[in-house]
Amino acid sequence: MSDFVDPVTGADALGDPGAPELGAIETGSGSGGEDASRTARDDGAVNKTGTTTVGIVTEEGVVVATDMRASLGGRFVSNKSVQKVEQVHPTAVLTLVGSVGGAQSFVRTLRAEADLYEVRRDEPMTVHALATLAGNFARGGPWFAINPVLAGVDRDGSHVYSIDPAGGVMKDDYTVTGSGMQLAYGTIEGEYDREMSLADARDLAVRAVEAASARDTGSGNGVYVATVTGDGVDIEGFDETADALAPR
Amino acid sequence: MQDNQQAYDRGMTIFSPDGRLYQVEYAREAIKRGTASVGGRTDAGVVLAADRRARSPLIEESSIEKLHRVDDHVAVASAGHVADARQLVEFARRKAQENRLRYDEPIDVETLAKEVTDYIQRYTQSGGVRPFGVALAIAGVDPDGTPRLFETDPSGTPCEWRATAIGGDRETLHAHLEDGYRADADLGGAIALALETLAESGEPLDADNVEVTTVDVESGRVRSLDPETIEPHLADLDIEVDDE
Repeated sequence: MSDFVDPVTGADALGDPGAPELGAIETGSGSGGEDASRTARDDGAVNKTGTTTVGIVTEEGVVVATDMRASLGGRFVSNKSVQKVEQVHPTAVLTLVGSVGGAQSFVRTLRAEADLYEVRRDEPMTVHALATLAGNFARGGPWFAINPVLAGVDRDGSHVYSIDPAGGVMKDDYTVTGSGMQLAYGTIEGEYDREMSLADARDLAVRAVEAASARDTGSGNGVYVATVTGDGVDIEGFDETADALAPR
Repeated sequence: MQDNQQAYDRGMTIFSPDGRLYQVEYAREAIKRGTASVGGRTDAGVVLAADRRARSPLIEESSIEKLHRVDDHVAVASAGHVADARQLVEFARRKAQENRLRYDEPIDVETLAKEVTDYIQRYTQSGGVRPFGVALAIAGVDPDGTPRLFETDPSGTPCEWRATAIGGDRETLHAHLEDGYRADADLGGAIALALETLAESGEPLDADNVEVTTVDVESGRVRSLDPETIEPHLADLDIEVDDE
């Protein structure tokens, strides 16, 4: 509790920069025991995305591609048509990686935060602010077993960030998270070019997910592709990854 | 009337029959008893100037602080109860840092002003507390380079100004600002107008009994002017200057 108290509610008048504004953090004091049981819950027999999610930056915008498989421990396919990229901001998307329950809750919370920020300040959050907030939540909040890609466009240009479960926030030209990451990185490495068109980046992202789907048991069953420009977000799903590639 | 009024001015949260909150109005009276502070915004930046004349020659004038830096890009002038002002300044400083922690971005001036006024408002709606007996002028440059100037009052209403005066003699000072205000003035012009306006309150000014703080658009940073820097600004003005 800070020195500044709301005299009506008795609540702290200063906010917690690591906590979501709406939706209580169930861990309360954040004591080790509760954290441990929560981590165990997200680590248990719950739906995981396994996953390969790819984000690539271009001058024109960003592209994100994700596979469509949910699995139990990567050994049983529990769902074959999961959309693992969701819009969280007028010009930004987040991928769902890790525990499905944790990732879905994370998406809902970021949406609420981005909406409140924009309506109060009359301008959208920058992608950097959104990434910082997501990192704070991953570090201090109730979301442990998540490892999303955040990709978006703002007045400063196109950005891709990875958010790790301990709250690490890293910006890059392209980034991959999920169990198929090494395969996807192998596809992108050497092919990426900072000057490439959005259409070429889209093909590269799809091919990266395709490669991971071929060999990683946690990834597969098609691809979702999100393209983000200054004008907004467009998300499409394809049961066959080949259908997502531009005709040649 | 007197008896009637007294029934409604004890409880902070009680309206009078004609819809007034007397405690809030009394808090505004407290502000009028304070010496004036002036703020002005031009295309080049924002300027705050305050009168810190000492009640006794034995007081160290530098210890009378009416202008406060809140963050790299925001400063505050106060009029009224200094102790109340210090609490709000500290609140604003913490809110500014909270924004950096949460978003890794400097807070914009409007958001900060509204955070402060929302906090002030809570002290008009709760039993057992009194309202803040202070007005603040919150001056800064937004992260996108726009100069902004907001004022808070004890009701918790935020208001944006091109130029304003808080504290005693407000009407006289406002009239002077309305005559002399130019949006395209450079920072020197804005400092001159602020000092001229302060001089309207009567007593002669010298470089030790005024405080001047600027936030210019070019650097986006708060700069506190020392007496040696204020001196030439005063010398250029056509006002009565204390020569001793």
